[in-house]
Amino acid sequence: MSSPSPSSATTGSGGKLVGTVAGPGDGPNEFFIVTPDEQAVKTGEFITYSVSVEGESQDVIARVTNREQARGLPETFMADPNVAPETVATTLGVPTEDIDLYRLEATVIGFYDTQMQTFSNPRQLPRPGTRLRTAPDAMLEAVLPNLGVDETDARTSSGEVDLSSVDVPEHDGLAHMGWLLNRETGAVDLHVPIDEFAATHLAILASTGSGKSYTAGVLMEEMMMPDVRASLLVFDPHGEYDTLAEMRGEETFAGDDGYQPEVEYFDPDNLRIRISELSVGDVMSVLDNPSDRMQERLDGGWRAMQQRDSRTWGVDELMDEMRRQYGEDDASVGALEWRLRRSVQRNDLFTTDANVPLDDLVAPGRCTVLQMDTLSRRDQQMIATVLLRRLYQARLAAVRERGDDPEFDGEIIDFPLFSLFEEGHRFAPATGEAPSLGIMRTITSEGRKFGFGLGIISQRPSKIDQDVLSQCGTQVTMKIQNPTDQDAIKNSVEAAGEDVLRELPGLTPGQAVVSGDAMNTPVLIQVRKRHTQHGADSIPATQEWRTAHERRQEQPTRSENADLGGGESSGEVDLLGDE
Amino acid sequence: MSNASPSDRSDSQADRVDDCLAIGSIVSSNSHMDYTVEIYNETDRERAPGPDECGFGQPVFVHKTIQGFEYVVMGVIYDTRLVDPDQGRSGPRLAQRDQPQFTPGYVEERTKFAGVALLGTAEVTEDGTIENPSHQMPRWTLDVEDIVERCPDGVTRAFHTGDDGGLQIAYIERLLDVAGPLGAEVTLALVERLRESFPAEGNQRVLNVIEKDVRWQSSVDRGVMR
Repeated sequence: MSSPSPSSATTGSGGKLVGTVAGPGDGPNEFFIVTPDEQAVKTGEFITYSVSVEGESQDVIARVTNREQARGLPETFMADPNVAPETVATTLGVPTEDIDLYRLEATVIGFYDTQMQTFSNPRQLPRPGTRLRTAPDAMLEAVLPNLGVDETDARTSSGEVDLSSVDVPEHDGLAHMGWLLNRETGAVDLHVPIDEFAATHLAILASTGSGKSYTAGVLMEEMMMPDVRASLLVFDPHGEYDTLAEMRGEETFAGDDGYQPEVEYFDPDNLRIRISELSVGDVMSVLDNPSDRMQERLDGGWRAMQQRDSRTWGVDELMDEMRRQYGEDDASVGALEWRLRRSVQRNDLFTTDANVPLDDLVAPGRCTVLQMDTLSRRDQQMIATVLLRRLYQARLAAVRERGDDPEFDGEIIDFPLFSLFEEGHRFAPATGEAPSLGIMRTITSEGRKFGFGLGIISQRPSKIDQDVLSQCGTQVTMKIQNPTDQDAIKNSVEAAGEDVLRELPGLTPGQAVVSGDAMNTPVLIQVRKRHTQHGADSIPATQEWRTAHERRQEQPTRSENADLGGGESSGEVDLLGDE
Repeated sequence: MSNASPSDRSDSQADRVDDCLAIGSIVSSNSHMDYTVEIYNETDRERAPGPDECGFGQPVFVHKTIQGFEYVVMGVIYDTRLVDPDQGRSGPRLAQRDQPQFTPGYVEERTKFAGVALLGTAEVTEDGTIENPSHQMPRWTLDVEDIVERCPDGVTRAFHTGDDGGLQIAYIERLLDVAGPLGAEVTLALVERLRESFPAEGNQRVLNVIEKDVRWQSSVDRGVMR
């Protein structure tokens, strides 16, 4: 066996020797390894071997995808749970020490090409007999996420190129999400490049209780760090992020220059939508079954109103305009009036004048949480629609440098934005029944060019619009068991290979698969602890019942009379009386 | 006749290898591990072994002295055969009906052979017990006319006790192989004997597992199970 000696490898000698290549596997990039040690190599572990590529020795990283026992005690020795198979083996003179052999299947990922700054597949399987080592922790830290590590970064003081020498946490703009699940806690930290997912969007997909809001919280914390100072806008339909304010005053988040992250909360009282900001389509979506004629009337009226200089008009002005165009007695205008007054004028959300200035809403180093838990789903969608449209226009104007144009009187935001949607399927539903879907599709497909990133958080990937989901370039996927949702991930998430999907049902809360643009290869991580409290715990029902009951016991009320034992007045009697 | 026997049924629990009942002598071998023993009959020995003393699955040993050290080579009867040179012969008969006493008999030529598979070896101590049992293949060959003795249960027990005091049956795979078609049966017969010698529950459970394994394997091999 003339495998390249480990000493010739630049970094391969660092890891622990774990096994020997037995031969090629089923697929073109797969091979089998035999290892005697049952603990050292887990499924998902990254191992490395050296091959010579164009005269240079390269450390190729491969992922262990499967493990099965190649040799061991027969199952018949395990016929009686009271008898250890080793006892039977000792009795029969079968050696029991070091007899277990495992056969691992591994898939080649590639060697890290410092010029391409990603993995490159050598298209060459290791020879049988090649010795394999676990990939060194420091090397994995540098090459797993898409950090763009190049030759200069990897050059050591002695001039050699060594990927293990890259000091990853030194880089700016990285989100420390957690560490590799297969290694010891904190051994291989995963730092995800924020630039990457802020441009190409992010999806956090997980079933309830598996920690998706927690993970989102971790990412938000990272984005508010002094080396990032992002402008974050969070659409929070459940009010789960009220603990983020703790970031303020926390030492971890303080910058050398006195930077402190700002956390602003907007509740429905200061979330108002100016009617003139709505598009005619938005209005249609809140009206009850408008007829074709009504739609035509509204369209005409709305267009005329939007031509006006004033932006503080309301339903009254709109009605006047439509009457002027279509006549006082037009039946459709009359029917529209009733609908408009019911759906728009009497809804506190819509006003004629007030409008949240975008500068108040978003700013670098500010995390704005829109607490919409008291609003109806339709109103939440409406807020998202209008805000996203305004923000998108403002970004568009900034990128097109409209600010220099004296004619331009619109809003401008001259910094990139990142917007997170808790319950993302509400805002971009697969059924298409949300006014916000259109603008979300636009931003996910075009936002990259305008520095507007979206983060979709959802426990029902199958209910998210597939166009929106498929545009999310980075995915954090946690435990998902529902087969429909797994299919949705498979169909819309390009980077989700079979390996990733197979892991999903087995993950426990806090474990996640990170894949996509921000990564060079998908990895399984344990999400780190949050610096701030987690605000989305379930309500402890039994405890609250108990205290509520005690409260009632203390203050005698007429509910005591409703005791079934009394026979005087009970629910049953009421039921009979209702008949 | 039985009074004069050196070893009686009553002291089968004895753990000494001297003074054991001789049951036959080696007449040939089929391999290093597989010998043929001619069982003594009344004409050979005053105290010939009874049918239950040289039955199928009976542990036996040959007492050997090698380079001044005394050893026992342990074995087990895994097969028996009857030979009658007179079989199929219809004549000639010298005897007349009125002279039955002159009928030449070949009774002494009718004989019983037993196949003995070797199990291992053990050293014999000065007081006649055995120690350091080894279930490895014995290195020495036995000789023709070596006397094969019935192994008392005490010695069988000592032979199956490992270094750690636990039960040991390490020859099992070789026995299954050497004994051929009756390998499973002879193993089960040995297991049955060991059940009595090792009554502790832990040992019984191990024997259960081994017994089931052997039974299952032979049933599979014979096509009655899968």
